[in-house]
Amino acid sequence: MSTDTSDRRLLLRPVHWLETKSEAVFAYILLAPAFLLLAVIAFFPLVQTFRFSLLADETAAANPFGGFVGFENYAALLTGEALIPQQFLDPTFETPLLQQALFVTLAFAILSVLFETLIGFGQALVIDQEFYGRRWVRVAIIIPYAIPIVIQAMIFFLMFNPTVGFATDFMQALGIFGQNPLATPRDSFIIVLVADIWKTAAFMALLILAGLQSVDRGLYDVAKVSGASPWQQFKYITLPLVAPALLVAMLFRTMDAMRIYGLIDATAGCQTVPSMSCLVITALQETRRWATGSSVAFLTAVVIAIVVLIYLFGLRDTEAGVT
Amino acid sequence: MSGEEQHPDLEAQERAGQEEPELDRGIVEAWAARAISNPDRAYKATFYLATFFFLVTTLFPFYWLLMVALTPRGNLSDVGVLTPAGFNPGAFVEIFTRLPFHRYMFNSFLIATVATVLVLFVASLAGYVFGRLRFRGRNALLLSVLVTSFFPPAAFFIPLNRLFNTNIDALRPILSAGSLYNTPYAIFIPLSALYLPLSIFILMTFYSQIPDGLEDAARVEGTTRLGALFRVIVPLSAPGVATAGVLTFITVYNEYFFSSLMTDGRPQNWAPMLEGVLRFQGEFEVLFNLMAAASIVAVLPVAILVIVAQEKIVSGLTAGAVKE
Repeated sequence: MSTDTSDRRLLLRPVHWLETKSEAVFAYILLAPAFLLLAVIAFFPLVQTFRFSLLADETAAANPFGGFVGFENYAALLTGEALIPQQFLDPTFETPLLQQALFVTLAFAILSVLFETLIGFGQALVIDQEFYGRRWVRVAIIIPYAIPIVIQAMIFFLMFNPTVGFATDFMQALGIFGQNPLATPRDSFIIVLVADIWKTAAFMALLILAGLQSVDRGLYDVAKVSGASPWQQFKYITLPLVAPALLVAMLFRTMDAMRIYGLIDATAGCQTVPSMSCLVITALQETRRWATGSSVAFLTAVVIAIVVLIYLFGLRDTEAGVT
Repeated sequence: MSGEEQHPDLEAQERAGQEEPELDRGIVEAWAARAISNPDRAYKATFYLATFFFLVTTLFPFYWLLMVALTPRGNLSDVGVLTPAGFNPGAFVEIFTRLPFHRYMFNSFLIATVATVLVLFVASLAGYVFGRLRFRGRNALLLSVLVTSFFPPAAFFIPLNRLFNTNIDALRPILSAGSLYNTPYAIFIPLSALYLPLSIFILMTFYSQIPDGLEDAARVEGTTRLGALFRVIVPLSAPGVATAGVLTFITVYNEYFFSSLMTDGRPQNWAPMLEGVLRFQGEFEVLFNLMAAASIVAVLPVAILVIVAQEKIVSGLTAGAVKE
C-alpha cells in the first residue's frame, strides 16, 4: 500500500509541479505540444524551403543541393529558363512553365470558387428549408464533401474515360471535347474543374448554411407582411446578411483551391494540367531539381499569401472582421 | 407602405381568383395559369426542382460507380448510363484477392485513428489555453496557428521529405530501416500538424462556453488544473470533441498529398487506401471495374460516418470557420 502511494506521488509530481506555476507559465506549457508539432511540420520546413530555394540544383550528386546562388532559381523560373520537364499546355514551348502553372492555378481557383459559391448557395437555400425528409436530403448534399480525393478522382476519371465512361461521348457530341480528353490540357482542366465543383460545392453549402441560420427569421415575417416576394426577400434580407459568411467561405475555398494537387495527379496527371503544387512534385521526382522545386513551393506560398491579403483587404470594410 | 392599404400584387391575385374564367386548358397551361395567379406555387415548384437537381447531381456519380463495378470486365465498354452491362458482383471479392486491399484499408484506418487521437489530445490542451486562459501573447500565438492553415502542403514537403528520408540512429530500435519514410509516422505526423488548427478552433469555441463556476467548483474540490480540464471541461464539451474527432478522421482518411508521397505504395510499407485504388490502374492492366469496386468499398466508412454524424460535421465546420 505504501509503495503504491509513493508510486502515485512520483507519477503526480509533474502535475503538482504544474500547479505551482503561474497561469501564464501553465498556458505556455500546455501549448508546448501543439507548437512543437507545428514547428517541426510547418514553421521550420517553411524556413527550410526558403533556404533550399536559394541553393543550386545538384541533379547527379548524393546531396541534391549545391552552393548558394541567391535568387537565381526564382529568376530562372520567372524568365522560363528553369529546366523542368516541359508541359503540354503551350505546345509551342514558348510560355515559361511557371506562367503556365500560375495561370492554371489561378484560373482553377477563380472558376471553381465562382461555380462552387453559386451552386453551394443554391444547395444551402434548399437544406435551410423545413420539409419532410430534410435530414436525408442534407446527408445526400454534404456527402461529396466527405469523399476521399482519390475516389472523387476515380469517379471522374472513369466517367471521362473513352472506354468506360459516357461523359466523353456526350461532351464530344456537344463539340466541347476532342479525341482523348484526359490527355488534352484544356479538356482535362474542365474535367478537374467539374470534379472539384461536384465535391466542394457541398463545403460552401455548409458554410453558407451557417450564415443563413443566423438570420433572424422575424425579418422574413416582416417582409411577408409588407408584401415582399420570395425573390425580394432573398435580395434584400438574405443576401446582405449572409455576405460576411459568404466572403469568409470564399476565402477558405480560394486558399484550398490554390493547393490543388491530388485530384489532378489521379485524373489527368501533373503533366497535362500543371498546377503550382504539381510543379513542385514534378521538379522533385522527374528531374531531381530540389532547389528549383523549393523555389516553386515557396512561390506557391507567396501567391496564396497575396491572394489572402487581397481578400482580407476587401473584407476589412465589411463587418465580417476576420480575427 | 401603409398597413391598411392592400399590396397591389395581393389585389391582383384576389381579382385573378374571382375573375378566372372556366377555360378548357391542358395540364401544363392550367398549371402555368395557377402559378401566375399564385406565385408561391411557382416558388415551391422551383424549390422541388432544385432539390431534385441537387440530389441527382450529388448521388448519380455513386450510382454509376456501382454500375461500373457490377459490370463484368469483358463488357466494360458497354456500361450504360443507368444500367450495368451484365452482372458480376465478384468484383467486390476480387479486389481483396488480386491486391491485399484490406491491408490498404487497415493502413488508412490506423493512420486516421492515430492522427485523430493525437490531434484531439494536443488540440484539447491548446483549445483550453486559448479558450479559457488570459495570458501575454495569446493573440499572436493564435494568429500563428491560423497562419499555418494558409500555407500549401507543398511548401512544407521538400524539407519534410528530406527529414523523413534521413536515417536517424536514435530511431533504429523502433524502426528497422532507421528512417520514417515508409512508416505510418511519415503520414500521420504531418497530417496531425496540418489539421491541428481546425480542431484547436473548434475545441476553443466549445471550451470557452463552459461556465467558469464549474471549473472553480472542481478546483475547490481539490482537483488540479489539468484534472479540471480532463474531468470537467472535456466531458462537458463532449459534442465538440466528437465533432473535432469526426472531422479530423474524415480529413486524414481523405488526404491525398502526403498520403501519396510518403510511402512507396506497397501495402506492407503502410501505403494508405488511395495507393490501393490507384494500383488497379497499373499493376497488370487497367481494371476499371475493380477500381470502381475498390472506390465503393473505401467510400463506405466515410459515408456511414457522414450519415451518423451529420449534425456534428455541420456544426463543427461552421463553428470552426466562423471562429477563424
